[in-house]
Amino acid sequence: MPGTWILAEHKEGKLKKITYELLSLGKKLKSKSGEELCALLLGSGIENLADQLGPYGADKVYYLEDEVLKNYINESYSKAIVDLVKSQDPTVFLGGATASGKDLFSRVAVRLGTGLATDCTNIDLDNNLLKITRPIYAGKVLMEATIPQAKPQMATLRPNLVEILPVDNSKKAEVIKVKPELKKDDLKSFLKEILKGESKKIDLTEAKIIVSGGRAMKDKDNFKILEELADAFGEGTAIGASRAAVDSGFAPHDIQVGQTGKVVNPTLYIACGISGSIQHLAGMATSKYIVAINKDPEAPIFQKADYGIVGDLFQVVPILTQEVKKLKSEG
Amino acid sequence: MEITREIFWNIGNVRILIYLLGLVPIIVLVFGLWKRIKLWRLGKKDNRSDHVWHRIKSTLSYGIIQIRTLEKAYPGLMHLLIFWGFAILFLGTLIIAFQEDVTLLFFNYNFFHGGFYLSYSFILDLFGLLAIIGILFALFRRFFLRPESLDNKSEDFFALYWFLVVLVTGYIVEGFRIAATRPDFEKWSFAGWQIASWIDVFKLDLNTLKIFHRLSWWAHAFLSLGFIGYLAYSKFLHVFSSPLSIYFRNFDPIGMIKPIPDLENQETFGVSKLEEFTWKDLLDTDACTKCGRCQDNCPAWQSSKPLSPKKVILDMKAHLNEKGSLLLQKKEMNPEKNLIGQVILEDELWACTTCGACMRVCPVLIEHIPKIIEMRRNLVLMESKFPSEVSLFFKNLENNYNPWAIGFAIRADWAKGLNVRLFSENKDIEYLYFVGCASSFDERAKKISRALVNILNQAGINFGILGTEEFCCGDHARRIGNEYLAQILIQQNIETFKKYNIKKMIVSCPHGYNIFKNEYPLSGYKLEVVHHSELIFDLISKGKLNIAKNHDSPVTYHDSCVLGRYNGIYETPRSVLKDIGSNLKEMERSRYKGFCCGAGGGRMWMEEKLGQRINQIRVEQAQKTGAGIIATACPYCLTMLSDGIKEREIKDLQAYDLAELVEQSLNK
Repeated sequence: MPGTWILAEHKEGKLKKITYELLSLGKKLKSKSGEELCALLLGSGIENLADQLGPYGADKVYYLEDEVLKNYINESYSKAIVDLVKSQDPTVFLGGATASGKDLFSRVAVRLGTGLATDCTNIDLDNNLLKITRPIYAGKVLMEATIPQAKPQMATLRPNLVEILPVDNSKKAEVIKVKPELKKDDLKSFLKEILKGESKKIDLTEAKIIVSGGRAMKDKDNFKILEELADAFGEGTAIGASRAAVDSGFAPHDIQVGQTGKVVNPTLYIACGISGSIQHLAGMATSKYIVAINKDPEAPIFQKADYGIVGDLFQVVPILTQEVKKLKSEG
Repeated sequence: MEITREIFWNIGNVRILIYLLGLVPIIVLVFGLWKRIKLWRLGKKDNRSDHVWHRIKSTLSYGIIQIRTLEKAYPGLMHLLIFWGFAILFLGTLIIAFQEDVTLLFFNYNFFHGGFYLSYSFILDLFGLLAIIGILFALFRRFFLRPESLDNKSEDFFALYWFLVVLVTGYIVEGFRIAATRPDFEKWSFAGWQIASWIDVFKLDLNTLKIFHRLSWWAHAFLSLGFIGYLAYSKFLHVFSSPLSIYFRNFDPIGMIKPIPDLENQETFGVSKLEEFTWKDLLDTDACTKCGRCQDNCPAWQSSKPLSPKKVILDMKAHLNEKGSLLLQKKEMNPEKNLIGQVILEDELWACTTCGACMRVCPVLIEHIPKIIEMRRNLVLMESKFPSEVSLFFKNLENNYNPWAIGFAIRADWAKGLNVRLFSENKDIEYLYFVGCASSFDERAKKISRALVNILNQAGINFGILGTEEFCCGDHARRIGNEYLAQILIQQNIETFKKYNIKKMIVSCPHGYNIFKNEYPLSGYKLEVVHHSELIFDLISKGKLNIAKNHDSPVTYHDSCVLGRYNGIYETPRSVLKDIGSNLKEMERSRYKGFCCGAGGGRMWMEEKLGQRINQIRVEQAQKTGAGIIATACPYCLTMLSDGIKEREIKDLQAYDLAELVEQSLNK
């Protein structure tokens, strides 16, 4: 019985959010096609994660276990996946349009000789054919497409778009352990070590909330008050900085937001002591809500902000932190 | 006693021998020069044989009068002494040869006597002495002053020593001859006379004097003849190569980048190999005299970045010697050395702000920027290798025709509430005001366009804008090396200009000014372009603006490289500042020596990770003048200077565009 497959992504012993999103999407597809929903899990010593996939909707979990699969490496992952897909012949195979998903699915699709729709904003079924929606011309237009000849039909889903369906703890998936045929000697690439950047928080481009500081932070240590605010917001919050703050040595370059830094798109962007030069705006102007805190009422950032607070950030930010904490504790 | 001297006195009949001996170094010299010419010819075609008269004039002023060399007093004077000393002594030798081997030999006519002989002796002694003084200046500079711009390698000293010894032995020969013969009229050979009187101290007899004379004569002969051969293999090669590089110079404005012709049908772009440069590019590497003025004026080098224009040229020369010599023997270089990455590093190429200071100060008119741009073009168009942050800039230009990812639909929003007409809605507009990206979108730079509109309206200028039909001019994309993107933008703008039949344009951004004036004609659209500083100057002098001279604070003017060095507009903006009553204070690096703000050559869109920040160096230079205002006439300079002031936390210093200052002074 062919099925709808999704690839489960995990990091540091936890399933990533995209996995739940893919399972929720898979459930919707299953309701239309009736085909079983299978999750693919690759790794080593993560049986506990395999068990967590059932409650989110997986009927079956193929758990490919091998020491070389412990961390994501394109070569070993794609080989293990291609072998399994060839033997099981699923109808649909979906992954996340994440950094590793984009990297992996392109190679898998080539190896399988099938097509791939990347970075889809929606995936649906229409007459048992995958109907994908994806932005083109830099988001000016959305296109809808089907890939009738492809087998399996493969697509990657943009993260943070699909609502995660409620968990059914009674549901258990059948876990099928597979030992992939991977000889260590045949592999060309290995992961030796993961070096982390200076920023402790989650990746800026994935953050839902960004608290960002500018030159008015005056000192590296003062970023603490932004971190306190970020901690109050909780998970999914990251710290950013303007070029001015980075140049002054208050913050590392890898958290710089702007034309020559990262382009971010969070739900909430709080600009603290950032005047809002056009170079900065180019990196964050598409944020859903922008809150600006600045002493200078003439600062250009207020032109772009949804909410502006004219005041000293060293007074405003701690108050904000208190209020957020209060709201959170009230639930 | 007749006033003359016997040419081969005390030497015997060696005429034939000397000519035969002389043939050897001349063959060596010709062989050496021929090899250099063959090396240059490895380069691609480039037509530099037009404008012959212009070229001759230019060679006279830059090669003979050496106007650029003289821009620096010490080395200028030093070089002038050596050059004229060398030239007059060479000429003197030719005159003797002419007399001995032509007029005397064939016509038995001797002009080498009497008044002519005396003035000849005096002049040659004088210029020989001047040359010695020049060489001593040079040695003093290399030994004691040791400017950073000079490499001071042993070959540099060796060349000077050889030349010095040739000159000194010449005087010694003369000294012994005079000491031995003592005709009174030889007082005119004042240096030889002086040496003769020193020789007198030793009270040598005539025979000993003659022996010493003969020895020193042969020493001088061998050293001089050897020097001829040495010319082509030493830094004296520049005696030949520099005038050639000047003769074949580029007459385009500094910093002009020509479009890649027939872009659609090209198979490779830019330069990634030695032999893809033009022959003039390769000649330039030999023309370089390592004087280091480019480096002294390079904002990248002065801010501790890896780029030195001199190093680029000399690294190219070393590569030409190494790889070029193999190519001439039809051999491959094994292992191949990559031009980009091994000979010249990518960081060097990306550090260039294309400010043009190197080209403006180079005494021999070497063209640095076009070489750098050609290599950038290769990196961008062939390898897709460029600083990662630039990809966003490219993408934004492709999608919204401006650098900042702002929707093109709001390009004209800055003009809301102002009296500005659109071409799409009006037929009788005289001037197009091409606003440019910065003054359309950047809150700070919008103040420039708004100020200029008020000025134009007060003067009653009939102008309009293109609004959302205006696209980025393409200047930055071209200088980063993305010629493809630049030409797309240029073509789109040209189509719009054609649609409205635009003949006159006002620009408030020097980058637009330069590309519209100098480079759009090469893509097929010529029009009259005026920069707002020129227009304001004109309006003030015609009395069309009601200026209150109320602006008496000290102001320093920062020259935009593109307006100044590229297009020679130095005085007009300064006159405007004076007209509004500003008390002008000049920075040390101003006018043709102006120091870049750091944003040129597309550096605006790159991180400045190496060395110090150029804009900070510049605002510190401005601070030293004691001025409270830095005036400029470029929105990108304005951004960089304003940022520099903030970064350096300089109180009492603010940056303004010229148009803003003028508008503040208007009686409304």
